[in-house]
This record gives sequence, C-alpha cells and structure tokens, in this order.
Amino acid sequence: MERLRTRWIIFLGLAAVVVISYTMNLPFKTSASPATEKAYKYIETLPESSVVIISFDHEASSLPEIQPIALAMLRHVFRKNLRVIGLSLFAEGTAIGYEMLNRTAGECNRNYGRDYVFLGFKPQYISAILGLGESIRRVFPEDYPGNKTDTLAIMRNIDTYDSVRMVISIADGDRTMQWIEYAGARYNQKVMAGLTAAMITSYDPYLSSGQLFAVVGGLRGAAEYELLYGRRAAGNRGMLAQSGAHAYVIALIIIGNIIFFRSRRRKREG
Amino acid sequence: MEIGTIIAGILTLAIYSFLYRDNPVYKAAESWLIGLSIGYALVVFWQSTIIDILIVPLFSEWRIILIIPLVLGLMMFSRFSSKTSWLSRIPIALMIGTGAGVAIPAMLYARTLKQMSASIMPLISENGTPNIEALVVLIGLLSTLAYFYFSREHKGVIGNAAKLGTYFLMIFFGATFGYTVMSRMSTFIGRVDFLLTDFLHLIK
Repeated sequence: MERLRTRWIIFLGLAAVVVISYTMNLPFKTSASPATEKAYKYIETLPESSVVIISFDHEASSLPEIQPIALAMLRHVFRKNLRVIGLSLFAEGTAIGYEMLNRTAGECNRNYGRDYVFLGFKPQYISAILGLGESIRRVFPEDYPGNKTDTLAIMRNIDTYDSVRMVISIADGDRTMQWIEYAGARYNQKVMAGLTAAMITSYDPYLSSGQLFAVVGGLRGAAEYELLYGRRAAGNRGMLAQSGAHAYVIALIIIGNIIFFRSRRRKREG
Repeated sequence: MEIGTIIAGILTLAIYSFLYRDNPVYKAAESWLIGLSIGYALVVFWQSTIIDILIVPLFSEWRIILIIPLVLGLMMFSRFSSKTSWLSRIPIALMIGTGAGVAIPAMLYARTLKQMSASIMPLISENGTPNIEALVVLIGLLSTLAYFYFSREHKGVIGNAAKLGTYFLMIFFGATFGYTVMSRMSTFIGRVDFLLTDFLHLIK
C-alpha cells in the first residue's frame, strides 16, 4: 500500500506540473537546432509551385507528438505556395493525414486538386515507394476521395520523383528508413523527416551521412520549427510543460538517490 | 460539443485510470483501442488491396493477368488443411524470393556501404587542425566493433577496446532512453492539451 501511495504521489505530481505549466502559456525561449534549421531553410528556398510529397507514416497513438510537427511543416509549405502530394504508407495515418492536410490548406486558402492532393494509403510500402519512381498515376490511379488522378490539375506534368523536390516522411517508426533506402538510394530523391523523439537516435547516423537531408524531431523540433516560422502553436506551448516535466523527473531521480544512499548507510551502520 | 470529442475525452480518462490501478474501465478502453485499430486497418487493407487492386481491375476492366496473384493468394489458404498445405509454399517462396531480391541490395547499400563511407572521414581538416568529430567516430566505431568481436577472448588490447565500446554503447542507450522519456512526455502533454482545450474548454 505504501508503494502504491508513493506511485500516486509521483503521478499526481507529474500531472500537476504538466497541467499548471501548460495553462500558464508563457512564451518558451528556444534556439533552433541545425537539423530543424536545415529543414526550414530548404523549404524556404524552394521556388513557388515546387512539388513536395508528404507521407503520413504513423499510427494514431503517436498523434499528440506528431501533429505539432506535421501542422508546422504543412503551414510552412502552404504559405510558401508549394504544391503538396499527400499519401500514407501506414493504414492508421490515412484519415489523420487527410484531415491535417485539409485543415492547414483551409487556413492558407489552398484548393484541393490544384494546390494539394491526398492519394491515400498504399499497402506493400516497398513496392509503393519504388512504384512512385516509375509512375505516380499507376501506383495511385485514384486519390483518397475517389477522383481519377489523371484529371487533377496538380498532377499535370507530375508522374515520377523527377518532378518532386522533397519527400517529407512524418513517421513514428522505420517507414522513413524505407524512403531513404528506396527513394533516396535508388532514385536520388531528397528525404526529410518529422519524427517522434524516440526515433531520433535511430536516424542520427543517416542524418550524419547525408542520406537523410534534415530532421524535425519531437515536440522540441515542432517548437523550433514554429519559432523559425514565426507562429507559436502547440509545439511551443507544450515545450514549457515538457521542460517542467523534465525538471520534475530530474528532481525525483536526485531525491530517489539521496533516499537510497541514506538508507544504505543506515543499514550499514546499524 | 461533438460526440467524437466526448467519446475521446472519456476514453482518455479511462486509459489514465490505470495509473490508479488496473480496473474494468481501463480494460474496456484498452479493448476498444485494439479492436478499433485492427478493424480500421482491416477495412483500409480490404479496400486498398482486395477491392482496388484485384476485384475492380479484374472484373470491371478484365485484366486477366490478375488471375495469377488471385490464385497465388488463394493458395495461401491451403495451409488450413494438412493435405494441401504444401501448396502454400509456392506463394511464400515467391514472396520471400522477390522480397529478398528487392531488399538485400537496397539495405546493403543504404545501411552498410553508405554508412561505412560516411564513417571514413579525414582526421586532419583542411586548415591543418585535428578533426575531433572524425576522431570520436573512429574510436567509437572501432571500440564498439571490438565489443561485438567474439572470436577472441576479451583480454589485453581487445579487452580494453571492448570496455571502451561499452561506454559508447551506454551513451547511445542513455540518449535513446532520454529521447523515449521525452517522447512519452510529449504524448501525455498532447492528451492534456486535448482534455483542457477541446474536452473541458478550460483554456483556449
């Protein structure tokens, strides 16, 4: 019972720290990491009407972390008047991706079919990624709402990676790896990623080697991107709560160690 | 308030009730999550694979060639009978063969060759100063490889290198764990945002 009570105190303390720091909504001062800055600057330098593929390769469970990254990047590409081809290589990411695309496109007055399209989900991700290098229309004869891909204005003169400046994989697992391996290595396609924090160290070697062009990682990455973009949103607001939670965890580790060493000394002494 | 937001809010609280202790409300919410995830994936796969790629092109556009994957797919079901289960080996062999053929060269190039070439950097930079990053990468690479080298006993030079390798591995595990904690916190903060903003309307 004593153990259970300690656990509740720890959880309640964490919840209190997060809720209080989140409701305070103070501006969180942060500086952009080189990887986030590289992602932002590249999109910033792209000429108008350039085409980017945004692939929503994540599950619904990682949405709280993925959404701030995806929304920040989508707002940026739409504000820059880039054309967006959305798709998903993860079944659960399909409806989420479509909703986020429509929401951000609506905010920036972009039109479906002309400025952006959502092609939907394709199983067998390896053959889908390789297939896009041969013919996007053949892999996706219809878009997600059921329109013939051929008939969409955005798809005019676009059928392979040759017309695509960047693939942005919004992922919580190893799907970005397949973009690097197949689109990057075989078709020399630039690949960028928006990743959950848990995946950052797995992709660091690919970022260092240049196989992955840039990474916007975790809530911190979203906050950095919002800072560069100049619009504070969920990422920035969440960072204060995250910093509070981290300080709380560090304090618990220190307190735990002090208790541990004191009890050990007491046992030795008596 | 939308009915979806109310359900999502109640289910979020139901999942967090586990922090108190395991209880039927949590179990019900967990079962819903698993059931809905599988159900949703099944519907998406059925539509995007069976209907869009097979049924429609085969029976509406009469692409007869699609009978081959249809038959191969049906052969997978032969596993349900011990007499006919050998038939399933044909599509499995085809899948493994083509899968390995496509994946091995790509993985070898992207994960091994490109990574090897990226780890070979000049130790002295162009202006004559030592390249610290390259030195750390070199020492980290060799010592970590030494740790996984089991053909000789870890004694002497190999033993010391392997020990150094464990420190590099621990730094990696520590960084990964730290990022994972950060990731879980972000997920929690995301749900707090949903509860306070959309569900309870306490903040705007």
